[in-house]
Amino acid sequence: MARKALEEGLNEIRNNTIKLGELTKEAIIKSVESLKNRDIAMAEEVMGLEEKSDIINLEIDEDTLRITALQQPVAKDLRFISAMIKISDNFERICDLAEKIAHITIKYKEKKFLKPLIDIPRMALVITEMIDIDLEAIENNTSPSVDKLIEKDDLIDNLYIQIYNELISFMIRDPKKIDDATDLLFVARHLERIGDIAAKTGAQIVYMVEGKRVWIK
Amino acid sequence: MNNKMQILNLTAGFGDTKVLKNVTMDIPENKVVTIIGPSGCGKSTFVRCLDRLHEVIRGAWIKGKVLLDDSDIYMDDPIELRRRVGMVFQMPNPFPKSIYDNVAFGPKLNGIRNKKSLDKIVEESLKKAALWNGVNDRLKKNALSLSGGQQQRLCIARALAVEPEVILMDEPTSSLDPVASAKIEDLILDLKKRYTVVIVTHNMQQAARIGDFTAFFLLGKLIEYGETAQIFENPKDKKTEDYITGRFG
Repeated sequence: MARKALEEGLNEIRNNTIKLGELTKEAIIKSVESLKNRDIAMAEEVMGLEEKSDIINLEIDEDTLRITALQQPVAKDLRFISAMIKISDNFERICDLAEKIAHITIKYKEKKFLKPLIDIPRMALVITEMIDIDLEAIENNTSPSVDKLIEKDDLIDNLYIQIYNELISFMIRDPKKIDDATDLLFVARHLERIGDIAAKTGAQIVYMVEGKRVWIK
Repeated sequence: MNNKMQILNLTAGFGDTKVLKNVTMDIPENKVVTIIGPSGCGKSTFVRCLDRLHEVIRGAWIKGKVLLDDSDIYMDDPIELRRRVGMVFQMPNPFPKSIYDNVAFGPKLNGIRNKKSLDKIVEESLKKAALWNGVNDRLKKNALSLSGGQQQRLCIARALAVEPEVILMDEPTSSLDPVASAKIEDLILDLKKRYTVVIVTHNMQQAARIGDFTAFFLLGKLIEYGETAQIFENPKDKKTEDYITGRFG
């Protein structure tokens, strides 16, 4: 194999990014699950995952810098390196947002919800599907379906608007519920933001694979 | 952007062997064009066709056209052409003469005899080649006493002394250490303000650093030619990508 050291280095970065992506999915699922079940232990687990994500992201950062300095990647290799730097940052940022949700779980503890949590877990589920699309594309070095990612991101945006309207009406009806409603609103807002990041990650993968810029709002 | 040179359907070879196959490309004025490709791809033959050095080899032949300022170089006097299109080779090849005489050699051949004029040309050429400060107090010393990097810059000064319009360089830094190479690269970037430069290099990073445009040759064919940033970030042809990423073959 030509340029064995470069190939091995790139593969290691790819595997580490996929590992970080899987961890990110786990953090999202567990953050929302912990909120739904008011499971403090699980919320604390999310914080541990966030710490791990920082470490893996730093490793990817160091590996990409080292391989750039020592192997001088160009063309598809350079695009790969640039994409991995951004994507690992995206995953790490998503883990930060999952941690923020876990903090809300801890704040909620024994409190009763204003309403049963249905749409928030739905948002989380759609997000994990988006991350699966991203990870499969990274693993196979193929472009993800941008249309599918946009469709899912739109679904998340609609769910967010629905939750927003619902929670605002709760607040108007009973100002005592503003604190609790705001917390849930933040959860929905974090998930909406995560959806955007997962969609933009897809655009970065398209550039990595095809060298073509696609824009996702 | 004006084209200083235009190469039209250039095919060249030796005897039965075709080395260059139907190459068509433009060389823009005041730009650095780097030529890359594996050994034997025709890079050196290509640049040697641009100043008619190819034809001096026994059995060499050429078809197609090479235009310099819209005029076919194969219809003009080759000596006059080589005054307008200078060449710097891979190994520094100063004449076994003084530093001064090396630079003054071309202008003297062109009939300049006036000492003051020659002094001026030597000083200006050495300054343009970023060598003046290192040698101005020992111009009468033998050129072979200079370091490899200085010898190469002397060869560039010698090429500049006859006031060429295009400078061809065939792997000009391949025998130099990184510091001497960096000085030549800086010099090339400076030279393009006044000249058009075509440079053959095996060093991908060098091509990326100094080239405005890069041409990739393979088996005598021009595979891809474009802006250097595009070639190194997003090449259109898979063969170019395989070569520049080191996965060729």
